[in-house]
Amino acid sequence: MSRIPAGMYIPGKSFLHRLDPLAKLIGLIILLAAVIAASSPGGYLLLILFIGVLLALSGLPFKLAIAPLRRTYLFFAVIFLMNALFFADVDPLWTWWIFSLSRTGLIQGANVVLRLAIIIVAGHILISTTSPMEITAAFRRLLKPLQYINIPVDIVALIVSVAIHFIPVLAEEVEMIRKAQTVRGARFDSTRLRDRAASLLPLVIPVFVNAFKRADELALAMEARGYRGEGRRVSGPEIAFQARDFGAVLIMAAICAVQILVL
Amino acid sequence: MSQPIIEVEAVEYVYPGGDAETPALAGIDLTIAQGEYLAVIGPNGSGKTTLLKHFNALLIPTAGRVLVDGYPTAVEENLPLIRTCCGMIFQNPDNQLVATTVAEDVAFGLENMALAPAEIRRRVAESLRTLSLEHLADHPPHLLSGGEKQRVAIAGILAMRPRCLLMDEPTAMLDPVARVEVLDTVRQLHREQGITVIHVTHFPEEAARARRVLVMDRGKVVRDGPPQAVLTDLEMLHSLGLQGPVAAELAFALREDGFNPPPGIIHGRELVEFLCSSGPKH
Repeated sequence: MSRIPAGMYIPGKSFLHRLDPLAKLIGLIILLAAVIAASSPGGYLLLILFIGVLLALSGLPFKLAIAPLRRTYLFFAVIFLMNALFFADVDPLWTWWIFSLSRTGLIQGANVVLRLAIIIVAGHILISTTSPMEITAAFRRLLKPLQYINIPVDIVALIVSVAIHFIPVLAEEVEMIRKAQTVRGARFDSTRLRDRAASLLPLVIPVFVNAFKRADELALAMEARGYRGEGRRVSGPEIAFQARDFGAVLIMAAICAVQILVL
Repeated sequence: MSQPIIEVEAVEYVYPGGDAETPALAGIDLTIAQGEYLAVIGPNGSGKTTLLKHFNALLIPTAGRVLVDGYPTAVEENLPLIRTCCGMIFQNPDNQLVATTVAEDVAFGLENMALAPAEIRRRVAESLRTLSLEHLADHPPHLLSGGEKQRVAIAGILAMRPRCLLMDEPTAMLDPVARVEVLDTVRQLHREQGITVIHVTHFPEEAARARRVLVMDRGKVVRDGPPQAVLTDLEMLHSLGLQGPVAAELAFALREDGFNPPPGIIHGRELVEFLCSSGPKH
């Protein structure tokens, strides 16, 4: 393994790890609502404090938790500038050509960036403390009612979990094929766009061919272990909502309510 | 001989779209008893893997029939029973792991058997303990070594409590240390739990661990017997492009040079014993 890709599960035994994944999922959805409702500095402060509490409960190192923000700072910068410079306003602070810097634009930019950052960190905390299988199991429970309108929830959940499992496997394979093609003269690190585009094809095609081969073998292995594509599977770990799970969801709901009604 | 677990009766198999003149399996009769350790060797394309896939109904014979524990594989209703009875391990450990943690992967087959969650957890724990993988239960499989991955695959099969373990070149992608690790695990399961093992392999040394060796060529079984007889018939093996175990090859060469090692040498240990006993004593 060269490096651990973003959004990987980190096994642990913290409070957040032990919380019912469905409670975490519902919590995240409520938190999203709270983030969208936030608009005042007090509101953001509350959310950031709360994220800090979550981080403390998750036992994750701070550096790791904000890693996705460090990777995407350029994206945030662009979003902020777009909002700040292009937000139509009657009373600009500064204008030049098509740009017009305005107070409302700055506030709007800060709003968007703060919201996105909070959502990303919250989502990152969820996937770092919950195994992908638990997340898919939680999704399955959340979407269970859809079964009654003939949506194959179990099958979709399995597809998602297999896809998640194969991301690192395929990532490793891309790395290997990249090296193999580099040895044969592909120019992945050329500064000329044309070279880089031309070298992409010999990378993408073998990766796809291998992915199909893997899929065939995986299907065989699943069949050999008794999988028959029926919806009779029991979901993985058996979990029941406990007091702490209800508590967690309630706290989330309270924060959302405060956000909407007070701040 | 104890109860047969797999019976193969006049089986022929032609792959879909394949040439009926050169079938992948061309008339095979075979009985495998409960508790056997059988190795299958043969050149590439001789039908080893095709035969193995008939033992858990991944393939259904074009002609003839296969009975697993007395149940014909061609009958759809028997599938759950047959797949629980005969578990299969494949060559590439990455392509047979479905879940994102070791424990969840071991649970996959049990979930397909629709067992109660409490029973699933009990069996997963038991299976991981048997293979000494408890400490890896919460780990994502892709961070494990090749040998560990293959042992996780075996744990997943073992949890289903099969009576027969089918292995298709399970060590082909492993380094020597991991290879021995996996083979010793299998031998332990065979000895302690009486699991029938059917092992398709390219390595003569691995075939020498079995109690019975089957040699295949062009869809037929050309030799069937104990390893001491089959793996020392170097003329036959060489004519198929195969090799005997190093010890057998060495014993053969010694015999040609006028020495007289006892017949049936397939393990290095046996050859060493001969060499030390016949040499000058100090």
